[in-house]
Amino acid sequence: MTISRRVFVKNSGLALVSLGMEPLFLARAVFGSYRPLPSLTGSDRPILVCLFQRGAVDGLNMIVPHGDPLYYEERPRIAVPQNTVVDLDGHFGLHPSLAPLKELWDNKSLAAIHAVGSPDSTRSHFDAQDYMETGTPGVKATGDGWVNRYCSHDREHAPPGTPFRAVAFGPQLPRILAGSAPSLAIDDLQAFGLRVPQEGARDKLTRAFEELYEGEGTGLLASSSREGFDAIQMLKRADPNQYRPATGVDYPQGRLGRTLLQIAQLIKSDVGLEIAFADCSGWDTHVNQGSNEGQLAARLRELGLALSAFSRDLGDRMSRVVVLTMSEFGRTIRENGNSGTDHGHATAMLVMGGPVNGGRVLGRWPGLSVEQRFEERDVAVTTDFRDLFGEVLARHLGAGDLSPIFPGFSPDPQRFPGAIKSL
Amino acid sequence: MTARDSALHALNRLAYGPRPGEVDSVARYGVMPWIERQLDPDHLDDKLLQQREHAFKILDYDRGDLAQRYRDAQRERQRMQRELAQTEDSMRPDKIEGPMREFRELGGELQQLAIVRATLSERQLREVMVDFWTNHFNVFVGKGADRFLLPSYIEQTIRPRVLGRFEDLLIATAESPAMLFYLDNAQSVAPGSAPPRPFRPFSPFFGRRRFGMNEMPEDRRRQRPTGINENYARELLELHTLGVDGGYTQQDVIEVARIFTGWSIEPPERGAGFVFRDWAHDHGTKHVFGLTFHDDGKDEGVRLLKFLAMQHATMHHVSAKLCARFVADEPPDGCVDAAVAAWQKTRGDIRAVLRAIFTSPDFWSPQVVRSKVKTPFEFVVSAVRAVSADPDTTPRLAQVVARLGEPLYQQPAPTGYAETEAHWVNSGALLARMNAAVALAGGRLPGIDANLDAVIPATTDHSQLIDMVDERILGGTMSAHTKSVILDQLADVPDPLQARALAVGLAIGGPDFQKQGTGR
Repeated sequence: MTISRRVFVKNSGLALVSLGMEPLFLARAVFGSYRPLPSLTGSDRPILVCLFQRGAVDGLNMIVPHGDPLYYEERPRIAVPQNTVVDLDGHFGLHPSLAPLKELWDNKSLAAIHAVGSPDSTRSHFDAQDYMETGTPGVKATGDGWVNRYCSHDREHAPPGTPFRAVAFGPQLPRILAGSAPSLAIDDLQAFGLRVPQEGARDKLTRAFEELYEGEGTGLLASSSREGFDAIQMLKRADPNQYRPATGVDYPQGRLGRTLLQIAQLIKSDVGLEIAFADCSGWDTHVNQGSNEGQLAARLRELGLALSAFSRDLGDRMSRVVVLTMSEFGRTIRENGNSGTDHGHATAMLVMGGPVNGGRVLGRWPGLSVEQRFEERDVAVTTDFRDLFGEVLARHLGAGDLSPIFPGFSPDPQRFPGAIKSL
Repeated sequence: MTARDSALHALNRLAYGPRPGEVDSVARYGVMPWIERQLDPDHLDDKLLQQREHAFKILDYDRGDLAQRYRDAQRERQRMQRELAQTEDSMRPDKIEGPMREFRELGGELQQLAIVRATLSERQLREVMVDFWTNHFNVFVGKGADRFLLPSYIEQTIRPRVLGRFEDLLIATAESPAMLFYLDNAQSVAPGSAPPRPFRPFSPFFGRRRFGMNEMPEDRRRQRPTGINENYARELLELHTLGVDGGYTQQDVIEVARIFTGWSIEPPERGAGFVFRDWAHDHGTKHVFGLTFHDDGKDEGVRLLKFLAMQHATMHHVSAKLCARFVADEPPDGCVDAAVAAWQKTRGDIRAVLRAIFTSPDFWSPQVVRSKVKTPFEFVVSAVRAVSADPDTTPRLAQVVARLGEPLYQQPAPTGYAETEAHWVNSGALLARMNAAVALAGGRLPGIDANLDAVIPATTDHSQLIDMVDERILGGTMSAHTKSVILDQLADVPDPLQARALAVGLAIGGPDFQKQGTGR
């Protein structure tokens, strides 16, 4: 049934394209999104912010299954005590370091998806991150990332004339954004561009380099430099640094807070940002992970404070923003000999923002008993990460066709975890 | 290809780019004889570098000294933490970082030392290989005790073996305290094993304090390890030897981890060296890769490493990575096969493997000669060499490398940095390169002493100026397009010093210099 519907959409879509019409409404019918088409100008365009928790976050200590006695049996030294968990629904609760997010949970703009992950069984950070970024678990030859493929296939949503449609914050362009569609890596918004104090001289030098790189024709040097020079032009006009955080909003110290502040500035300056991506590392807690306090607690505290600040800073604008966290896999259910956890399988992810179907822990919970586990040791995956990412692309950004974005996978709305509200 | 073209290609790949005049001198000496000399670097005089190394105090400390100082700093910080905990918010790490500052400074010195060596050494290929193997056997300097273990890792584990046998390098890294700590093997013990006498947990290896990725106040309970840790075993197979497609299973990883139980580190007061703890070793029989390991203590691990070093998957994985560094991001099969054959024939003599790559037709093919974009480290070092500048001992030049995207020793993932350009070429990083080039040409790049007069005398004749920049800095590879753009830009710059700065800045920041090859 699903398949024939998809074939119908695809074929009729082709027919409509040949008539010069966009088949978006049909795709929307399939993916259950009735969100109005984003206008191509103005500030009501949907925005997605992806945070990659590199190193494999321990989903079980982030969204704690405190209602399950097995959780406490398996983690005598690192479990989060029941009396300190921030309860969500009687069974799951937030790690106490994430307490700043409780308010968002209560006003239904935060949801968690548990037991989400990759169908591939690898426990290698490198491979699993690669698969999550390419969107093709088990296939190493994929050259581009799924966010980039979204950008190259969904041209209908491309804000015209902006180099800021997809921006990674950091010194390197991550795999998730690699590919043929233009994308930017920005390490520091304020320092983006040539550093020459005097404006006239700076413009002249910028034009000189621009001309030099125009001689490159094709290749990565050519395209990357072109995107850079376009971005300089636009930042000059929009001047995002004029946007200070809203009154009373304090981002936490550290890279994550700084990055989310800059993403907020870029959103407020309306330069056409559609997808922002940032890394947040330090989750590979093999040794002395800690429970209420300790390494993981400190990382989660920074995450909670940063997300909460971001949400308050953007205020009403959050009605069109979705923040999605992701991590390559989860960690072992049982703590290891070093009071830490080793590489596991499923983990938990968070979605935050106005369009989110919040206040719920989504996904089917597989349970923690040995026979319910993956390979008898790890939390089993009940939600393929592509169903979650696909839902966000389709129902939030309005992606028309998911099959070229996740090749070899048939996204099915029936399996969507329900992270985004259907209006 | 002319003799000069060949010389330039060799200097771009086996060295960190030519210094002014070096293309001609290598061409005169003969490219193949020069490559042979680079493969046998002990005969090369390196006095200038040796003098400069005296300025780095990090080379005066041995691992024991650093361990002692690190422990003292830790204790001081813990004392401050306790004090702070009684007064106010104890989770403000910034307030208690004071005692650890010395170690951050030593880390900066270590980065800068790498830049000074790569810039000044006559043994260029050796320095390129130090960079390659340090990255292949990556250790993250920011992980706790690795702050003081990294210097000896580089000096004693990596540097003496970069052109030796792969097997020796593999064993040395496996035994190195830096790797044992980084990939947690120091804490991997057989389940149920216990130390023979009351075990005193030694900070920082088994202490009640831990040294994870962050240094935050921690669980105060006294804890000692009680089980195996698979981390090293997995990365040994995936990254150091067989490669991710090397055909091993999760069960293989567990067996390998069992073999390495007991490989650990002495406490800091005893020098923080390697120790094999028999009590922590899993004495059971292990089966892996068709081999059986009966209880044989540390020798089990050594036997396994020797076996892995000669596996076809290892030879292919490491050879392909070497070819990605020296030949092309996606290396042709020919040079990889030649490298594997040399590996097999010489039982992993790195020198022979490299020679096979440098003499393979693929290394000299025209597509290859034009193909590679410099890494951030290669770009900075080659720019400093191109203008004959002298780096100082401050970490400021290392900070430039960091801004371009690949800070030295600071890749947290055991993969190290990738060998392919897509990982470092992006719009932000390119702008950072242009900024660095303009600063270098204007004499404003921190951390170096540049004397452009010695390389490019200032002149009001712009055509002559551009020819000199092409000849002395780009080795004669400046494209016609670059020449005409620079000439246009100079049109309204009458001042010869400003004109020179602009021409050099545009040349080094422009596309031709980003490549390890010709711009034509």
